[in-house]
Amino acid sequence: MSSASASFAGPPAIATEHLTRRFGDLTAVQDVNLRVAPGQFFGFLGPNGAGKSTTIKMLTGLLAPSSGRMQILGSDFTENPVEVKRQIGVVPEGMALFGRLTGSEYLNFVGRMYGLDRFTAAKRSAELLEFMQLTDQPKSLVTDYSHGMQKKLALAAAVIHGPKVLFLDEPFEGVDAVASNTLKAMLQSMIARGATIFLTSHVLEIVERLCSHVAIIHRGQLVAQGSLEELRAGVEAQSATALLASGVTSGDLPPSGEKLTLEQIFLRIVGGTRRVDQELSWLG
Amino acid sequence: MARLDSSSATHEQFAAIGRVRWQLFVNSLRTVRGRLELVARVFMFLGFGMLGLGGSIGLGLAAWYFASHHRPDFLALLFWPVFLFWQFFPVLASAFSENIDSSHLLRFPLTFRSYFLVRLAFGSLEPATAIGILWSLGIVMGITAAAPRLFFVAALALLAFAVLNILLARMVFVWVERWLAQRRTRELLGVIFFLFIVSFQLINPLILRFGKGAGSVVTHFSAQALPLQRFLPPGLAADSIASAIRSDFLRSFGGVLLQFFYAVIILWLLNLRLRAQYLGENLSEAVARTAQPAGHGSVEHPGWNIPGVPGPIAAVVEKEFHYLSRSGPMLFTFVMPVVILVIFRFGSARTGDPGGILARAADLAFPVGAAYTLLMLTNLVYNTFGGDAVGVQFFFLSPVRFRGVLLGKNLAHSLVIAIEVFLVWLGTCFLYRPPSAEIVAATLTGVVFGLIVNLAAGNLLSLYTPKKIDYGTFGRQRASGTTAVASLGIQAVTIGLCALALIAARASGRIWAATLVFVFLIILAAVAYILVLNQVDSVALKRREALIAELSRA
Repeated sequence: MSSASASFAGPPAIATEHLTRRFGDLTAVQDVNLRVAPGQFFGFLGPNGAGKSTTIKMLTGLLAPSSGRMQILGSDFTENPVEVKRQIGVVPEGMALFGRLTGSEYLNFVGRMYGLDRFTAAKRSAELLEFMQLTDQPKSLVTDYSHGMQKKLALAAAVIHGPKVLFLDEPFEGVDAVASNTLKAMLQSMIARGATIFLTSHVLEIVERLCSHVAIIHRGQLVAQGSLEELRAGVEAQSATALLASGVTSGDLPPSGEKLTLEQIFLRIVGGTRRVDQELSWLG
Repeated sequence: MARLDSSSATHEQFAAIGRVRWQLFVNSLRTVRGRLELVARVFMFLGFGMLGLGGSIGLGLAAWYFASHHRPDFLALLFWPVFLFWQFFPVLASAFSENIDSSHLLRFPLTFRSYFLVRLAFGSLEPATAIGILWSLGIVMGITAAAPRLFFVAALALLAFAVLNILLARMVFVWVERWLAQRRTRELLGVIFFLFIVSFQLINPLILRFGKGAGSVVTHFSAQALPLQRFLPPGLAADSIASAIRSDFLRSFGGVLLQFFYAVIILWLLNLRLRAQYLGENLSEAVARTAQPAGHGSVEHPGWNIPGVPGPIAAVVEKEFHYLSRSGPMLFTFVMPVVILVIFRFGSARTGDPGGILARAADLAFPVGAAYTLLMLTNLVYNTFGGDAVGVQFFFLSPVRFRGVLLGKNLAHSLVIAIEVFLVWLGTCFLYRPPSAEIVAATLTGVVFGLIVNLAAGNLLSLYTPKKIDYGTFGRQRASGTTAVASLGIQAVTIGLCALALIAARASGRIWAATLVFVFLIILAAVAYILVLNQVDSVALKRREALIAELSRA
């Protein structure tokens, strides 16, 4: 199932054409055509091993595509990698932290690598540490941070240069509820200022609450893309068609009073109901 | 429910660890890099095998000679090199020693006994142990050939010697690792080392002050030290066999027993350390939380400003210095060139010769120290992303070309070498005599040549054969096998070339000629370096997946 995304003027924030990545005989991502408009909070979903991380790695320059094209803010990634990288911020799967620096040193380093002068980098580092509530252990090395603290630091590093497009791979994983709320507020304020956010998460409630648009990848192929309403309407229409095909008349169709949640949409699209056929009898 | 009893469980755990290591090895052969590693290991095996067998034959012949020509007291001369090699080689050549990190095993229901044995068994799987055992066997065979009746005593003494060495090497590793893990203990070690160095400075003034009497001071010192060495492991092993040759079996067995007694003490110290690790000791340098009022949490510390160096490159230099300054093992490596000078100087205390081992060539002290400084580069530049681990992803995400990143790293490492060479120069002035301007010029140009060659080769090998390393742990392998073999070859060629040019120039009385040769070599090396630097962006792009995968693995 696929639906057209909303029309917008100017180049899309993210656009891919037939993006494909093969690992030997395995095609991890096949012919993915994504379009993310500027200012969208875009959720990229899929079951484990569907190709989410592979796609995000290609979009951020960590992995070369086997074929296809990618454009970020109208610039071809392969032709202008440095220019594109200046415009984007990334929290990758491994967080890309330098464990033997302190949080402040790390942010300073990242800021300067993105071209900020050393005073601006230092000022923003201090502000971000304060915002992320990472100031109570100023001399601790990043390697000694908890997982949640590392996530917050990685997110701080991703935004220090004020990127126009932000790629977040599971940004809320391991982050406590308080910090999670702070992060969500920060991301929403970035959207309000015109940034685009491309996010993957397994927590569908978060995606449903934050994202205006969603794409679902399954077994390497994009199976749905559009606004939440478009996806919902598509799934409901598909269910109705299936019922009609099974002999139910249109008058007997159930009333669509209750909105499908993103989880329900997701499960229907990827066929996510699985029976436990075999009991693991040795489990306590 | 099928549960194994304790001993079977331990046996199964050992077998499982062995199997998983074998499986890791087999899986590694799926990649070109893995197969290259295998080739490198075969070369290393051949090299160490030759060293082990050659040494074993040499030591065996010497032992046979001393035993059959009634010179048993000289046996100590054979045991001391074996002992020093066994203990120091793993530290000096960590690139060749692969000690697995056993800490992750703690999440399994391993008894302390199993954990201890795993650490001991897998930790001892290194060239120094194999070579040490081969050499010890050579000595046993030499003595047995000279006097077959001594086989049992020699085998027992050498067995005790080997056990003691294996335990001592492990014990030294775990304790030094512990001391280097935290700033306070690291600083304490630094102070002790400084006092150690300073204490050697007292020898020279003493000799000068006492003039001709100095010889007797040194002789007296040697006379005192000689009996003392008999109570140390190599002396004890040698004395046990020497006593058996003199048919003093009581003393012989006493020596063996004393060795086993030492082994028990070492075992206890090793046990102390490993038990602390087993109980989940955390040696991180995390500091306690400090309550801070809102808005006053963090202070702005602008990064380094290096005149003439672009911000991103200066940031990489700063980051490298932070990393190196927080790595106990790397700091340990940095003091080694000065230690080498001290060791060479130490020779004088025993021989009474103020020039030490370099007595007849004191002017070569600076070049020798500087050459050793170049050896440090093996740990620094040949696996330059190894310590960054998962952070290497950031270099691919940032808008800085790899050329810039490597320039920053090269600049940082060149500064480290410059500081080291300056320290070596100071040490030479202090321990020997200030080197002449000609020697300084030749040495500096030689170092620059060696540095550029190593940087160029290191940049490529860092991209082609990376290996994740932990800057906080001591004695672990610091590079892949391929890198270790390749860097050894490059170091041998560059340092060999420099030595050849310098010795030839010195022999002809025209040291400036060596400087000229080195300047010419610098030009060639610089061209090679620039060519490599121009290629690193495309190489990094080609290698990015392998690089990230290798350095990001758990």
